[in-house]
Formats: sequence, C-alpha cells, structure tokens
Amino acid sequence: MLKINDLKAGIEENQILKGINLEVKAGEVHAIMGPNGSGKSTLSAVIAGNEDYEVEGGSITFNGEDLLELDPEERAHNGVFLSFQYPVEIPGISVSNFIKTSISEKRKAQGLEPLPTKDLLKMMREKMELLSIKQGYLSRNMNEGFSGGEKKRNEIFQMAMLEPRLAILDETDSGLDIDALRIVANGVNKLKSADNATVVITHYQRLLDYIVPDFVHVLYNGRIIKSGGAELAHELEEKGYDWVTKEADKQWA
Amino acid sequence: MGLIENLKSYSEKVQTSEKKKELLTSFLVKGFPTTKDEEWKYTSLKKVVAKEYTIENTGELIDSSTIEKYSLGFENKIVFSDGKLISSPNIEGISISGFSDFEDSTTGSVLQLNKALANNGFTISVDKNTVLENPIEILFFSTAANNFSQYRNQISVGDNAEVKFVERIQNTNDSTSMVNHFTQINCAKNTKVEYNKIQNNTADSRLIDTVSVYQEQDSTCDINTLVFGGSFIRNNLNFEQNGSNCESNMNGVSILDDNQLADNHTFVDHKSAHCRSNEMYKGVYLGKSKGVFNGKIMVRPDAQKIDAFQSNNNLLLSDDSSIDSKPQLEIYADDVKCSHGCTIGQLDDDELFYMRSRGIGIEEAKAVLTYAFASEAIENISVEPVKLLAQNLLAQKLNVDLDFSL
Repeated sequence: MLKINDLKAGIEENQILKGINLEVKAGEVHAIMGPNGSGKSTLSAVIAGNEDYEVEGGSITFNGEDLLELDPEERAHNGVFLSFQYPVEIPGISVSNFIKTSISEKRKAQGLEPLPTKDLLKMMREKMELLSIKQGYLSRNMNEGFSGGEKKRNEIFQMAMLEPRLAILDETDSGLDIDALRIVANGVNKLKSADNATVVITHYQRLLDYIVPDFVHVLYNGRIIKSGGAELAHELEEKGYDWVTKEADKQWA
Repeated sequence: MGLIENLKSYSEKVQTSEKKKELLTSFLVKGFPTTKDEEWKYTSLKKVVAKEYTIENTGELIDSSTIEKYSLGFENKIVFSDGKLISSPNIEGISISGFSDFEDSTTGSVLQLNKALANNGFTISVDKNTVLENPIEILFFSTAANNFSQYRNQISVGDNAEVKFVERIQNTNDSTSMVNHFTQINCAKNTKVEYNKIQNNTADSRLIDTVSVYQEQDSTCDINTLVFGGSFIRNNLNFEQNGSNCESNMNGVSILDDNQLADNHTFVDHKSAHCRSNEMYKGVYLGKSKGVFNGKIMVRPDAQKIDAFQSNNNLLLSDDSSIDSKPQLEIYADDVKCSHGCTIGQLDDDELFYMRSRGIGIEEAKAVLTYAFASEAIENISVEPVKLLAQNLLAQKLNVDLDFSL
C-alpha cells in the first residue's frame, strides 16, 4: 500500500530525513518510535503533503501512485489521513460543517453527489458513540477551546468519518489521560480492517498496549535504525533508546 | 453639475422653515467634507457627490411582494416607501410614529444637511418596563431613480425596557442613489437595546449612516453592522455613556468586492466610571475594494475602572484591495483597562494545510476559512434570522456551501 524508498526531506537548508525506507501493507499496524527530534513528525508531514518541507530525494508511492506528485487534498481523496500532533483551531467553523465540507469534497473528487444531510448526521452519531463523544460537540467550533484530549478525540472522529486507507497517528497519545487513551485506542482498533493500514507514531510504549503493532521501527537521526515486532517496543520501554542509538551513531559517524 | 448644484436649485424652490433654510445655506457654503478633514482623511466623497441626484424624489408605492422579498418575516414591521411611512405595527407599551424633528448634539456638515432637509423618519418611544421579545423590523424602500434622501429617526427607550431592531435600507431599482441617514437612540436606566443594520443595497447605492447612542446607568446597547452591498458606505457610530455600569457593544462585518468602499467610524465616549465597551470589526476585501476603520475611544478624567476593548481584523484577498485602520485612544483616567488590536493579513498556512489534509480543495478551504474569520463578528447577534441571513450572505459572497441547519 505505502512504499517509501530512500526518502530524504528537510526544511530550508536543514535535512531531517536522511533516507527512509518503509513498506506498509494493507491490514498492518506499524509503530514508529524514537527520541525527540528524530524526524517522526517530519515523516508524517511529508506523507500528508505539508509544503513547508522539501523533498530532496527518494520516493513515496501509495497503491502504486506517486504520492509526492499529489496535492494534500488529493492525497486525502486517495485515502491518506494524518491525525495531527497539534490539531489546528478554526474558530467560526463548527465540527459538523467542517466534516460535511470535508466529506463533500472527497465525494466530489470521486464523482459522487454530496451525502444527504440525514445520512451524514446518522453516520456522525454512530461514530460519536464509538468514541464516547457527548452531544453538543458537533456545534462547537473546530478545536476552539478544546482540551488536549478533546482535540485528539476530534482527530480520530474525523478519521472515523473519512474512513481512510492509511491512517497516520502522530503522537495521538500525548495529552491524553488513561481513560481517553483507552477510548481513542478502542476507536482505532474498531476502525481497523484487512483493507486499511495504520501507522502509529509515538514516544512511549503506553499506546501500543492498546493498539498492538505488527511492526515496530525505531527512527533516529532521520533514519530507521531498527525494526522488529511488538516486542521491540517493550524492549525500548525497558532499556531506553541508548542501546540502539549508540550503535547507529557508530555506523553513521 | 453635481449634488451641490442639485441642492442649490432645490434650496431655491423648497418651502421650509427659516431655521432649516439657514442650515441649508450654511451647509452650501461649507460643502461636503473633503479628505483634508481629519474624519474623512481616507474616504473621499468627491466621486459620490459629483453625480446627479434628485432631492427627496418619490416614485411608486411599493407592493406587498416587494416588502416580503426584503423582509426577514418579523411580525412587527415599520415600512417606508420613498420616505412615506406606509405601515407600522401596534405594540403594547411602544408608540411608533413618523418623522418628528429633534435636537441633537452630533456635529459635522453631513448631519447638518440631514437636519436641514429631513422630513422623513421614525419616532419610537418605548415605555418603561416594556420587554419586547421579537424585534421590530424597519424597512426603508426607495423606488425613485437617482434619489438623494434623508431619514432622521429617534428612539427613546424608557427605564428597564428591552427592545431589538432590524433595519434595512433598500432600493427597488438599480439606479444611483444616496441616503443620508441619522438615528438617535436614547437608552434610559437599565435598558437593553440591540440594533441590527443590514447593509446589502444595490450596486450603485451610497449611504452615509450615523447612529448616536446616549446611555444612562446600567444600560446595554449592541449595534451590529453588516456591510455586504452598495458602492459606498460610511458608518458613523457614536456612543456616549452617561452613567455607571453601561455596556456598549459594536460588531461589524464588511465583505467587499469590485470597487466597493466601506468606512466604519466608531466613537465611544466613556464619561462615567465602571463602564465597558467592546468592539469587533472584521473586514474581507476582494477585487479593488477598499476598507476604512477608525475606532476612537475617549476615557474622560472621572471615568475610572473602564474596560474598553477594540479589535479590527482584516483579510486582503486580492492584490488591489486595501484597508486603512486607525485606532485612536484618548485616555485621561488612570485606572482603566483599554486594549486594541488591529490585524491585516492573509489566510493562515497551517489552517489551510489542515483543511487540505482533510480533502478540502485549496479554493474551498480558503473560502471556508474566510467565512470562519468573518463569522466571529456575527456570533453575538441575538436575533437568529439576522444571524442566519448574515451567514448565508457571507457564504454566498464567498461561494461556499455550508449548511447552517446542521
């Protein structure tokens, strides 16, 4: 589904990703872990199409299509979804209107008529229930005055509504208390299917207790320096990152 | 020729009181303000008054379908057709009649002209303790071509009364028109008044609108100004607080395109202690449109514990649009909280990317963000149909499809 080959990218003169190789297949859950500043958020931003970052080399294909050629909205139409680490506040637009616009635009790109309001509302209610979201939420302004946890839940709510093929969850666990974490993880698990894939970017093992990955990758200094199964996350939790990063420092010195 | 010449020949023929004649003569000596006048520095009337007008012209009486077309459907309607009061509601505790002259302390030659020429307008007196839930809708229709009309209105609201208004000035044809509009609102103790102005007139219409509000203690007055249509609009909004615990709220949205100009001048005169004022003006400029904002706040020496907030935020969405924004604070008391902020900018890149990452195309995302930007200033409108109209007009102007019933 997603193939990243020797991806090099950065911001202005500063190269952050120094040759990423990653393949994600349908039905898989990948976790990308790593210390601060290793390039985790840059990777997710580049996949989503953030124009602040410049791609200097390598390729990303998504279901065989060159992703780097597409605008952010086209990537979304193709099924790429990024749950933001810091979701943006948009005062003046209600959650319901935002999601309605988002879904209509996606359907328009697919040559479909907008979803009737009745069906849209029904779908929203179902997904709200899935994420234990209270009534009244739909008419609030997009992320305005939301707590950290509410913002993250709103991200997953949008994901549930848009039904992406590839969801990238960038530090979705940060700012969540344990109950919210459980609800969000539960939502992600329920949305998982054989046709879609999830990439979980996280600092801590904690979230991976709930969303169990098939593969764990350690991103450090712009490269994936180690990959393994779910047990690797436990090992990192126990021993920290030093034992893998030291090795890498030697290799790339 | 031009408006001054039109006024000169009108003054020679018109039958009116000596006093009004004097006012008109002295106006004709001074003429309209020019950009040399500090209050008109950024807004030139030159082209506006160079046109030919007919003074206080009358055309055909409007019919009920026209009223329906522009009305928001409120039960209580005051309707003017070319200055003639053709319908007014009977409301318990409120007396409504046509023009009746009154003195005012507002200065400036445009108002002097209003005083000299006005024969039309409304007089509303709200008895004390009257609380009216539904707003009174006021519609001024002009059917005659090239009309220059004056309206002079007064509202007096008695102690503890609460009342809301929705006003619209509307041409029924596409010809050039100009309106010189003045409304004085007297708010007695502990009153609540909300006045909504829908300025969405035809493309070649011009308007100079002055509102002067006099507030006594514990009163709250909100004025919402929604500027959508018309080639030239100048709003002068003056508040005078004459008692403690007054609150004056101003919200304004201007969304302009082509060669439109809208100038919002506000003046809050804090004369008493323990009062508040809030103003939020938002402007969106497309095409070759031009905006002006001048917000003056005066805090007099004895007016301690004042909380005054002013913001004017603008989006310039085309290369040829412009905005002149000027906060003007004069503070002579030492224990006050005054803040003001003015921004002029483009749309936020992070917000745009966020929306695009959700599949919303760049043009739609820009329009939705612009809508969101402007709509903040209409959120405080308490009259739902006005809010809805404003939202719809905004969405329509920006070509976004948002369903407000969701």
